[in-house]
Amino acid sequence: MLGEFEYLLITAAAGLGDDAYGAAIREQIETHTGRRCSIGALYTTIERLETKGLLKTWMGEATPQRGGRAKRMIRITPKGVQAASDFYDAVTSVSRGVAWAKRTGSTT
Amino acid sequence: MRSDWAFVEYVARALPQEEREPVLGDMYEVNENAWQALRGIGGLLVRRQVELWKSWRPWLAGFGVALPSSFFLMGLSLSVALSYMRLLCPEMLAQASMTKPSAMVVLVWQALLLIGWSWTGGFVVGSVSKRTLWVSTALCYVPCLICLSRFGIGSMPRFCLLLFLLPGIWGVHHGFRLSKIKFSHALMIAIALTLLIVPTWSSSWLQTRIPQNALLAWVLSIPAWYLVFAAWKRRRESQVEHAA
Repeated sequence: MLGEFEYLLITAAAGLGDDAYGAAIREQIETHTGRRCSIGALYTTIERLETKGLLKTWMGEATPQRGGRAKRMIRITPKGVQAASDFYDAVTSVSRGVAWAKRTGSTT
Repeated sequence: MRSDWAFVEYVARALPQEEREPVLGDMYEVNENAWQALRGIGGLLVRRQVELWKSWRPWLAGFGVALPSSFFLMGLSLSVALSYMRLLCPEMLAQASMTKPSAMVVLVWQALLLIGWSWTGGFVVGSVSKRTLWVSTALCYVPCLICLSRFGIGSMPRFCLLLFLLPGIWGVHHGFRLSKIKFSHALMIAIALTLLIVPTWSSSWLQTRIPQNALLAWVLSIPAWYLVFAAWKRRRESQVEHAA
């Protein structure tokens, strides 16, 4: 079972698709959670998820706005998609009937 | 490059090359200032170390091998130096009631044990946990510094305590570079070391020539047998893979 931050990272990367890399994922997480995402937490989690086979990384292109440094591109593996899906199912299942879930349900 | 980032770049050298590039690039892209970047890199380095210490490997390399071996091998280094001095000084030889050939045998025996134990210990430290090698090195040097500061045998130079460092560093270098050793080589080394310490169990004459008691001699041989076990396990796993 994924951890909360692992789920956020995988979901942000999945949403970004081919543009998923460190800074973009970090921005997504910070925007959606309203919390600061440290570079340490981000990169140690990326490495852990890669070790578990839930995502793949490779070095991308270098751009001038990055000081000529390469990006670490990220792609979710089918195993990662399954793990995120399981986490989502568990959260939605356990949340059924609770007050805040009803509130979310009524707005959508 | 922004001038205030020179220090950040310097600190980032502690990260592996494949991680340094994207991390610095990400920070540059979101226009973090040098202080924020330093905090980020510091945090990443701390997290990396914490992750490493969740495994048994750095504990084995640092506290299981480097620290205790350093203490015991300093004692044996001193014994080797004393045996050498005994060969050079007839009065010391007479005091020890030894003949020159027997003193030579003891010197060679002790030197072989010193080289064998230091090399195998070094190999384990260098191969088991490479990314925490700096901690293992510090744990090895701390006892050395303490003993060097308190060393008080007037006729002997202080550096004789550190004789074990040379084969030890040689072993660390091999372990770091090669990571593994062939099963047959590991077994040969372990058997040779064990044969060298077997006489300490039976001969009281030899027991007096070794600074540690026989139990400690066996303890110092554990890294050699660990290498045998690790090589055997690796060979078995590769046989299973081939069979599959």
